[in-house]
Amino acid sequence: MGKLLSTAGLFAVFAARLAAAAGDAEAEGGGLPQLDVSTYPSQIFWLILSFAVLYYLLTRKALPRVAEILEARQDRIAADLDRAARLRQEAEDTLRRYNAMIEEAQARARTLLHTAQERIASEFAERQAALEKELHDRIREAEERIAAAREKALAEIDEVAAELVQAAAQRLASLKITRKDARAAVARVAGE
Amino acid sequence: MADPLAQFEIERYVPILVGNADLSFTNSSLWMVVSAGAVYGLVMLGTRHHAMVPGRLQSVVELTYEFVADLVRENAGKEGMAYFPAVFTLFTFILMGNSLGVIPGIFTFTSHIIVTFTLAMGVFLGVTALGFWLHGWRFLSFFVPPGAPKLMIPVLVPIEILSYCFRPISLSIRLFVNMMAGHTMLKVFAGFIIALGVFGVAPLAVNVALTAFEIGVAFLQAYIFTVLTCIYLHDAIHMH
Repeated sequence: MGKLLSTAGLFAVFAARLAAAAGDAEAEGGGLPQLDVSTYPSQIFWLILSFAVLYYLLTRKALPRVAEILEARQDRIAADLDRAARLRQEAEDTLRRYNAMIEEAQARARTLLHTAQERIASEFAERQAALEKELHDRIREAEERIAAAREKALAEIDEVAAELVQAAAQRLASLKITRKDARAAVARVAGE
Repeated sequence: MADPLAQFEIERYVPILVGNADLSFTNSSLWMVVSAGAVYGLVMLGTRHHAMVPGRLQSVVELTYEFVADLVRENAGKEGMAYFPAVFTLFTFILMGNSLGVIPGIFTFTSHIIVTFTLAMGVFLGVTALGFWLHGWRFLSFFVPPGAPKLMIPVLVPIEILSYCFRPISLSIRLFVNMMAGHTMLKVFAGFIIALGVFGVAPLAVNVALTAFEIGVAFLQAYIFTVLTCIYLHDAIHMH
């Protein structure tokens, strides 16, 4: 500011000299106002003064304020972009983690299903085998029982026949025959 | 018909005499002070809320700021940004002076050669001093075109120096002539409006169009002055 003012002063002195030199030429009049040298010192002085003051005020107050506003906006935009990038990164990470989790869960589900299937299949086979064995046993048992019953029935039939023979002989012929003879007779007939 | 050049007359509002020098507060001084105040006031008013999402005025301030910043960066390089406040002041001050001048009745201080010449001289001296300050005497090599044959150097260097010294003249005359010509033309056509009676509608229409044109010129000339300043700044910082 001081430097500017001293420059202004220098210019004023210079302009004053110029004006003094052109002092007598002033009287002409009617020419182009721009060429009226007598007005030069005042114009130069006020130009330098207003320009210097404007320069001082703009440099000291106005321009830093504009720069500050622009910078703040720039910072804000940069910060916002930064945050957006960070959030995006986070979202991508989450997505990746989520996908990994889903994949893991699917794999676990697959193995669970597989083991369950195997277990069910083996259990089924086991039960089927047990059932088959039981049925088999029961059939054999039943067959054995039938065979025994048949043998017993066969054995009894001779006895009943002998009894029948004894009773028939008693009624029909009033013969008293021993059970032994009756049996022998039945065996003889059955033997034919 | 009024003299179309009367609008350029300097009127002394408050006579101030310092020794021999007439430093009177004039119509020109008034609009210089108003322009400077308007630039500062608009920037401060526009940024008073420090809004993250800018309103209309803050947008204008921010756009102007970035416009000038881009201008400096593109034409003078990153190192030129150190001089951004000076370039911003130059651009906004000239733009405000030019634009206010389009409003009828307001004195256009940039239509005076001494004003534009002082501004151009300030740029010229500042940039030249910067060149010497940054590069020392090596800055003189700026006047030797690269790749020129040795034999031609004695011829080329004076031409280069001359063209370099003509910079403030072309810079100041371009701005002053543009502003003066536009305003003179506006006044000439304005003079016809009353003189032609009903047919004055024609020059009135011309004046409407010219006023729009002058708004463009006001911006364009401020822009050209600033771009050239940036280019000179580039020369001083980078040499070629």
